[in-house]
Amino acid sequence: MREMKKIQNRSVAFFAVLALVGLVYCSPALCAGEKVVKVGNIEPLSGPSAAVGQQGKNARDMAVEEINAAGGIKSLGGAKIEMIYADSESKPEKGVAEAERLINTEKVHVLTGCWNSSVTYPVTAVAERYGIPFIVPVSVADKITAQGFKTVFRIAAKDSWWTRDQFAFLKDMQKEFNTKLETVAFVYENGDWGKGFAEQWKKLAGEAGYKVVLDEPYPSSATDLSPVVQKIKRANPDVLLLTSNAADAILLTNTLAEYKVKPKAIIGSGGGHADPSFLQATGKNAQYLFDIVEWETDVNKPNAREINEKFKKKYGYNLAGESVDAYIAIYVLADALERAGSLDPKAIRDALAKTKLTTGPAMIAAYDAIEFDETGQNKQAALVIVQINDMGKGLERITVWPKNARRAGYTPVFPAPQK
Amino acid sequence: MIYVLEDLINGILMGSIYGLTALGLTLIFGVLKVINFAHGSMLMVGMYAAYWAVALTGVHPYLALVLVIPVMYLFGHAMQDIIIKPIFKAEKQVREPITVIIVTTGVWYILDNLSLLVFGPQYRTLQDNPLRGKMLEFGDIMISVPKLWGFAAAVATALAVYLFLQKTRMGRAIRATSLDREAASLMGINQYRIYNVAFGIGTATAGIAGVALVPFYNVFPSVGVLFDIKGFIIVVLGGLGSIGGALLGGMIVGVIESVGPQVMTATWTEAIVYALFLLVLFVKPSGLFGVKYDW
Amino acid sequence: MTRQQFQALSLGLVAAVVLALPLFVRSATYLHILILLYLYAYLTTSWNLVGGFAGVLPLGHATFVGIGAYTSTILSLQYGVTPWIGMLAGGLLSVFVGVLIGLPTFKMRGAYFALATIAFAEGIRVMVENIDQLGPLKINGPRGLQIPPLNFGLANFMFPGKEPYYYIIVTMLAAVLAFTYFISRSKLGYYLSAGGEEPEAAMALGVNVARCKLIAMAMSSFLTALAGTFWAQFTLYIHPKSVISLDLSFEIAFIALIGGRGSIGGPILGAIVLRPVSDICRIYFGDKLPGLHLIIFGVVLILVMIFLPRGLQEPFSGLYNKVADRLTSTVPRQE
Repeated sequence: MREMKKIQNRSVAFFAVLALVGLVYCSPALCAGEKVVKVGNIEPLSGPSAAVGQQGKNARDMAVEEINAAGGIKSLGGAKIEMIYADSESKPEKGVAEAERLINTEKVHVLTGCWNSSVTYPVTAVAERYGIPFIVPVSVADKITAQGFKTVFRIAAKDSWWTRDQFAFLKDMQKEFNTKLETVAFVYENGDWGKGFAEQWKKLAGEAGYKVVLDEPYPSSATDLSPVVQKIKRANPDVLLLTSNAADAILLTNTLAEYKVKPKAIIGSGGGHADPSFLQATGKNAQYLFDIVEWETDVNKPNAREINEKFKKKYGYNLAGESVDAYIAIYVLADALERAGSLDPKAIRDALAKTKLTTGPAMIAAYDAIEFDETGQNKQAALVIVQINDMGKGLERITVWPKNARRAGYTPVFPAPQK
Repeated sequence: MIYVLEDLINGILMGSIYGLTALGLTLIFGVLKVINFAHGSMLMVGMYAAYWAVALTGVHPYLALVLVIPVMYLFGHAMQDIIIKPIFKAEKQVREPITVIIVTTGVWYILDNLSLLVFGPQYRTLQDNPLRGKMLEFGDIMISVPKLWGFAAAVATALAVYLFLQKTRMGRAIRATSLDREAASLMGINQYRIYNVAFGIGTATAGIAGVALVPFYNVFPSVGVLFDIKGFIIVVLGGLGSIGGALLGGMIVGVIESVGPQVMTATWTEAIVYALFLLVLFVKPSGLFGVKYDW
Repeated sequence: MTRQQFQALSLGLVAAVVLALPLFVRSATYLHILILLYLYAYLTTSWNLVGGFAGVLPLGHATFVGIGAYTSTILSLQYGVTPWIGMLAGGLLSVFVGVLIGLPTFKMRGAYFALATIAFAEGIRVMVENIDQLGPLKINGPRGLQIPPLNFGLANFMFPGKEPYYYIIVTMLAAVLAFTYFISRSKLGYYLSAGGEEPEAAMALGVNVARCKLIAMAMSSFLTALAGTFWAQFTLYIHPKSVISLDLSFEIAFIALIGGRGSIGGPILGAIVLRPVSDICRIYFGDKLPGLHLIIFGVVLILVMIFLPRGLQEPFSGLYNKVADRLTSTVPRQE
């Protein structure tokens, strides 16, 4: 009997805790009667990609703040944008469940997300099923816009464009600097993203007549990349193409420097190489590295500098790939909402499909305009290639390609010095 | 041929550091008979402790040990005393209480995400430390200096723990408890105190591993997970509870990881490690140095 | 009212509520959460055959989920085989793998067994991640497989709404519960729990413990694989890190341990409590303070284990017995 009592006490304590926890859950702010546009955002806010998820969230919040402060969506009577964030933890099944919830329970009018291609991909099917427009700032896998869906809109370029531009860049550089590049090595994380890039690289290298001396995926959970670096060193390629997430990009760059591996050019594919903590964590080791991105702080666009300054002041780091596209996504959405003049998802979708944005804060990226083709891909999604170098103010990312976007007075260092 | 030597050396150095990360795991298992799923998180805490100790004071990374070891010891001691002890008391009669696995997993979730809240998701490296990027070069062979230090730290730590267990009064009490906790408590040894000490030492070794890693590695909240599974494999290879076994198990994994990629893609070496792991389990389940009693 | 009547009544009541629930829960979100809840209850109950009754701690059951999901998906994508048949095929393949894992590992005890199952599961995940094409079969490595939502209908195990999935998983859950109940009362069940608690004693009594465990493993892996097919057809996208992940293996085991392993109701209770806690935490805290939801989840795990090391079924069955006693006994029972 006493035993029983003890158990009861324990369970009482336990349920008290549960009830307390429950109480906290049940108090989300009930929104007032005012008209609001509800935007559901699925991002990896915890787990291995938490850093990039946070960047995307911050950029979205800044854009929303600006839009709401400027009077909201005027054609909807000054409706404010309300952001609802959901954490995917980088897991597809969580992303799908969150999309279901955002659409059905939170009744969002629009979805954005999800950074990880492996999460975005299944979420497109959910959005399509409910007819909810789904703006994808960055998730580069080609297949995301290749499903014939009507509701998906991607701001950034898709992976076949990223790789195409990387090879176009190589061609241009050889011509400009009169240096011959013959051998290439591919090193990439063994995931959806890396595999997708590697497939394209193989095709492009074959077409352009490069010799592939190394084609090496590595586990994204690798704790030591020096074996891979050794392999690169022994393959001795002219060009090293990389696709890495943040932790491995940092490790790889530092290890390459330690082993004094100096190909004529190392080219990253955004992602980890564009992460704001990448430069801090690699320092001089990243010097002369090329990286392909959708945006750079020195991009020659009106307001770009001011917006970046504001962001940096607020959050302590520069805008980067995901965050700049996320920022743009919100302005694209605001523009579509103005034109739709309605909260009906179908009207918003139709307005998004007719987007032709050429002015405003959404134009801070290298894109000439934002305009979606019938698959929902931003036709004008251009990319730039930057080089990491020190121009007297510490290491920074300097735009070098395409040539008309190159920072005035800068000559790219190519091929990288062999010291 | 010279390449194989270079890879072998790198594998042994890196592997010894893996062994160091797993040292606490095997020690804690040996005494408490419990797999500590929070071990990776404790390594993460150790890495942050080392990182901040060096970043804020600017001392040589290995000088930070003076600070990191006691802090981590107290941390582990307190964790065992506050969170894990109650379970042991509740499940006195069970030799290997499975519930503790859940508790340590809970601790893992809490620590990893607490550090995400506190330190943010950024990746941090110690940029200007005297060890970063240093290499020894013998002709074609290059050896990483920070890894060499790590190797020394691993061997020294393993030796120190071994001697502590063999030569000191407390060490003997710990060994007695790990052999037979009932008999030990009949002999007047307070087993919960022993657990606290064992947990403290195990956590302190995770701190040393953190110090060994930060000069060439990056720190972020979920970094421990990368070493978690590796740690399990290493301790089983070496034999759960065996200090030298952990070091050797680590080196085996390190060598496979380092030499393997030269004949296959790096992603397959993982599979080789698992295959070897299973092979050892089937042929000699107690691991290379394990005591038969424990399986 | 007799005890039997009371039991039948409460069982019928629960069944009626569960079956009628979709009539009231119209929101796809909550149906989705409920379906996942039943799915996890199903997975955990299947796990329980080994982890609960046989007294070992398998931490790699996601392997079987993966085998089920991949088998039926590959068969239906490449050969047009209906997932229902693929489900059985996955189950059988899973039995084969399960026995293969069980043969050597059941000789081990405690921590070694747990770690060996982790290694098996991780090894299989690594293999799947490294293989794009296995003979004629397209596995697609780390990129996973997507099932295009084209041919809806019962024969294709694919539906536009959630309700059919709801009833399928409820049926599966009911079947696996009945099966577990039957097993727990059978000779095999007694042998298993005897072997789990006191293997030496059981062996001395002539029970072939290893064989009993193998049979339990075979049943458990078969049933778990069926859920894999359900998972694939429900989410229409599988990849190694979702269906063969360690997280999934752990979650299955944890639900059982929190609920109370070795009891029939434990896994259900565990799923009822743990699933919503994790979902609700993520929903309400996931965006505000990153990671806070996992901290809360961790705290809940620890608290339950500290206060109820036998799992949640302990106070609940106590409660049930008390209510049953009050309602059924006319004569006051002896305390």
